[in-house]
Amino acid sequence: MSDASVNVKKRQMMTADGIPLKRSLRISLRREKLRGLALLAVPALFVIMLFIWPIYTLFQKSIDDSFVNDVLPRTMAIYEKWDGEDLPGEVHFEAMFLDLTTAEKLEIGKVSTRMNYAKSGWKSLIKKSNRKFKKFDPQKALLPQMIKADKRWGDIEFWKSLGIMKDRRTAGYYWNAVDRTYDSKKNVIMQPENRRVYVMFWKRTLLVSAIVTVACLILAYPVAYLLATLPLRVSNLLMICVLMPFWTSLLVRIVAWMIMLQQQGVLNDSLVGLGIIAEENRLPLMYNFNGTLIVMTQVLLPFMILPLYSVMRGIPPTYMKAAQNLGATPSWAFLRVYMPQTVPGVGAGVILVFIVAVGYFITPELVGGKDGQMIGNQIAYHLRKSLNWGLASAMGVMLLVAILVLYWVYDKIVGIDNMRLG
Amino acid sequence: MLKTYKTALAVLAVTASGAMASDLTVTSWGGGYTASQQKAYGEPWEANTGKSIHWENYNGGLGEVRTQVESGNVTWDIVDVLPDQIRTGCDEGLFIEIPDDILVPTADGKSMDEDLMVPRPNKCAVPQIWWSYQAFYNDGTFSGQQPDTMMDFFDVAKYPGKRGVHTWANAILEMALFADGVAKEDIYSTLETEAGADRAFAKLDTIKDHVVFWSAGAKPLELVSSGEVSMSLAYNGRVGGANLNDGTNFVSIWHGQVLEEEWLGIVSGSPNMDAALDFVAFASSPTAQAEQARWINYGPMRTSALDIISAGEPWFNTGVNILEHMPNREEVMGDSIVADPDWWADNGDELQERYQAWMGQ
Repeated sequence: MSDASVNVKKRQMMTADGIPLKRSLRISLRREKLRGLALLAVPALFVIMLFIWPIYTLFQKSIDDSFVNDVLPRTMAIYEKWDGEDLPGEVHFEAMFLDLTTAEKLEIGKVSTRMNYAKSGWKSLIKKSNRKFKKFDPQKALLPQMIKADKRWGDIEFWKSLGIMKDRRTAGYYWNAVDRTYDSKKNVIMQPENRRVYVMFWKRTLLVSAIVTVACLILAYPVAYLLATLPLRVSNLLMICVLMPFWTSLLVRIVAWMIMLQQQGVLNDSLVGLGIIAEENRLPLMYNFNGTLIVMTQVLLPFMILPLYSVMRGIPPTYMKAAQNLGATPSWAFLRVYMPQTVPGVGAGVILVFIVAVGYFITPELVGGKDGQMIGNQIAYHLRKSLNWGLASAMGVMLLVAILVLYWVYDKIVGIDNMRLG
Repeated sequence: MLKTYKTALAVLAVTASGAMASDLTVTSWGGGYTASQQKAYGEPWEANTGKSIHWENYNGGLGEVRTQVESGNVTWDIVDVLPDQIRTGCDEGLFIEIPDDILVPTADGKSMDEDLMVPRPNKCAVPQIWWSYQAFYNDGTFSGQQPDTMMDFFDVAKYPGKRGVHTWANAILEMALFADGVAKEDIYSTLETEAGADRAFAKLDTIKDHVVFWSAGAKPLELVSSGEVSMSLAYNGRVGGANLNDGTNFVSIWHGQVLEEEWLGIVSGSPNMDAALDFVAFASSPTAQAEQARWINYGPMRTSALDIISAGEPWFNTGVNILEHMPNREEVMGDSIVADPDWWADNGDELQERYQAWMGQ
């Protein structure tokens, strides 16, 4: 027996064309593997190009501050030599003059935009001075000439603000995003009270998302239960009712809510007409915090119903019957037997709704009015209007990290393996 | 790699926006404003040159322009921009400088720069219109004395009801100071000081509990017609346009309006440079500028265009006079504030944050 097995091992099996079977098999397996990898390459490339790379550049943009150093090399090189107390000496003025007169015009435009974030006024100071620089006599001392051209050159605050930009990497945008800023020595200080906005927006974003998620859960649970338990004929109809708004354009739904809820809208008119509320007490339901909550809840409801439904469909009705046969009251059986089995669906729905809600900005933009705006609106503003892409990127990264943290917490508490989308 | 990714994005953007093979892409604000540009500039230019224009809409801001220029994949040739954007855009090289010799002089030989009511901020700017932020209400909202000054807009005791206000700081701060009694020449020097800014926000505080905010130009009309607010700020062209075209009875309050410029810019690296230059030369000529006023009540920037209009009244396409709906006619200029975009370029970021904080309180 043992002899025979040794023999088999020694005698190599050959394929028809004389290649050892083992090698042939290996080649064909490798080819298979390569083909598999090639198929994977397309989605992998897709993910890298449209997901990983943008996030990487987003992160880059949020910490990059090399621009001022590139355009004003002489000024930044000797900046440290200034004591930060008195007006800088002639060398500093000379360096600034040389930097501004040798840099390309376009670079100066961009750099003045950046510097204006650090101190309001840099933009016009640089622009106006640059026009006058042409008439300067470079042989004479530049300090008095520059201050004569624009007295702001003698304002120490402008020179101090350069200190904020002296490093090539900055956490400044992140500090800005939480209402903090650097002083001229790069210590982190609070923004002046009347400019503190972003912490409020962060808090509100989390609050709105949390309320919307809870509201969705409360509304979606019974609907999903009905969908899963009613006879097919009825539940199909119900399903269409759930999906119809899902298929309708977001804007159409928002406008419909505006018509319904505004102060002169359908709901208020009816309430006044029925004498439930007085004409002057019309409810403010639109263009404020309430508006954002109501519309977002309706828009995001399907994201909660669908995962709940798919999980509930998989729960055999016999379990509930068995529990009741064993003596549980219907509500007890529901609480102890049915509900625990829906946790994976609840988890999926909650995560899905919360994550989508945190990044929302179209709905708050249209119905949020003054106190229903969220952090997404701020990101959009800085991307499109103020062009402060550094700050917008920093807020984007923070939003992303917040979601990842949330995901992690969820994994610790509920366990990601327990999440089922269907 | 960065470039590849951006190109890929740009390609996606092009396919998504469905830009077709046309000879020139002009991006503007949509609605009645784009329609007036199509009628006054687009159609005649297409007829003259045999070329076709693709019109795109956008929501303002230089975000898209900057992305296109930085990725080297420019799909917009001409963009209609606000005063601060033509300044930033020209400084940052997003727009090209227009050669002087293509700009059309007046019939009596004055150069365009001499003919303009406001000087061009830089050589990138091609004149378009003057427009304004103004207060307005629906006729019949108030009994007895009617509001007709900016002070009335801020007086919720005398003229009860909510107020529609936009969500950014421009114009509303000037209006607040003006309503508080600051002379229009001193508004920006006042606003620049800490005390002056406090004063403006203190004035805003007086209407704070009555404010409904809007951010899209059509919204204030809706708010006022539905009675949601009793008075609102709005773009003057929207208010006048509704009266002229849709027969509404809005009443404009010209007192304390804030005038803003509107320019065209040619995007650096525009793929149809020759056509773009030709188009902007045509669109800034006195006759074409006057022609735009047949379709919308925004004021032309060229004095000679105003002369053509007043000589040709009734000028509007429906056969009514248009000059009385213009924000920059002589009679109302005395009580009008001319916005200072250079000042806003310096102080805008800071005041915008403060305004946001005020809104969110």
